[in-house]
Amino acid sequence: MNTSATSRHDEFWAGVRAELPLQLGVAPFGLVFGVLGLASGLSAWETILMSSIVFGGASQVVFAQLWGGGVPAPVVGASVSVINLRHVLYSASVAPYLRSLPLRWRVPLAYLLTDEAYAVTINRLRDEPPSPNQHYHLLGTGMTLWICWQVTTVMGVVFGATIPESWSLGFAIPLTFIALVAPAIRRRADLAACLTAGTIAVVGQPLPWKGWIILAAVGGILAGWLVHRHDRRRTAS
Amino acid sequence: MIWLVMIVCGLLTLSMRFVMFSDLAPRQLPGWLEEALGLVPVAVLTAIIVPAVIISPEGGLILAGNSKLPAALVAVTAALVTRSVLATIASGLGSMWVLEYFLY
Repeated sequence: MNTSATSRHDEFWAGVRAELPLQLGVAPFGLVFGVLGLASGLSAWETILMSSIVFGGASQVVFAQLWGGGVPAPVVGASVSVINLRHVLYSASVAPYLRSLPLRWRVPLAYLLTDEAYAVTINRLRDEPPSPNQHYHLLGTGMTLWICWQVTTVMGVVFGATIPESWSLGFAIPLTFIALVAPAIRRRADLAACLTAGTIAVVGQPLPWKGWIILAAVGGILAGWLVHRHDRRRTAS
Repeated sequence: MIWLVMIVCGLLTLSMRFVMFSDLAPRQLPGWLEEALGLVPVAVLTAIIVPAVIISPEGGLILAGNSKLPAALVAVTAALVTRSVLATIASGLGSMWVLEYFLY
């Protein structure tokens, strides 16, 4: 295999540099999560430490809202799990490059494997020559995002109380998700998942414990999957 | 209690990120599972977006006089055109504020 021995230093800083521009999207999200955590009734410490204990934006938002709404713990756990299921895909995609590392590397790198760190590092792993130090790239992207997320969460908690309610800053959360979802709808299957999940989320409102989150997610995935299967069979025949 | 739930959620999240790094993991995910997991972000995030735009805190549907609805449509357009998270947030928040100020 054609390996080029890039240094740890170069890999790490290449990761940091490539990850920095994405912080334009991460930073406002972190700020809003800090604000929202308090608004949902969590304490400052609960909000701040959730950003390092759970370390997953969308799932932290849902955790705070469900917990604030008095939803039972198992439903909170199940909702967080459904939301973070996508990470299994990232894990599978990065695994061939990292599987030979010792556990003391694999566990922290898994912890740092967020959407934005994955999006940047997979390009390096796939497109550039393999190097024995290539995992330092993920360390660089992951740590950049981690630091940005922690700092902006703390800022959100500290300044949150001074932001007037009338600004409706919480609306930045669905807007952040719109920025992720809208460009991701490319196939009929994606559209089916989107429409089904949206519809169930609305008609399911009367369900107890905000059960519509799980139901809409599972329903959307199932609908998209069925459409995908159908479309593929049609192109194959 | 909240700490326990938070730590369990953290461990669940970590294990989903770690699962394929494990020595016991299969080399590849089965195709059907990979297809299903690929649909998770769209399904999950839409399930959060739609109620945040058109459902009141009490759980009722609000369409008329709801500045968030047109603002969300502006944001969808901005997201498709610019592909920028910041531009999407700015255009959505901005149009909501303008609508609140002048119309509602």
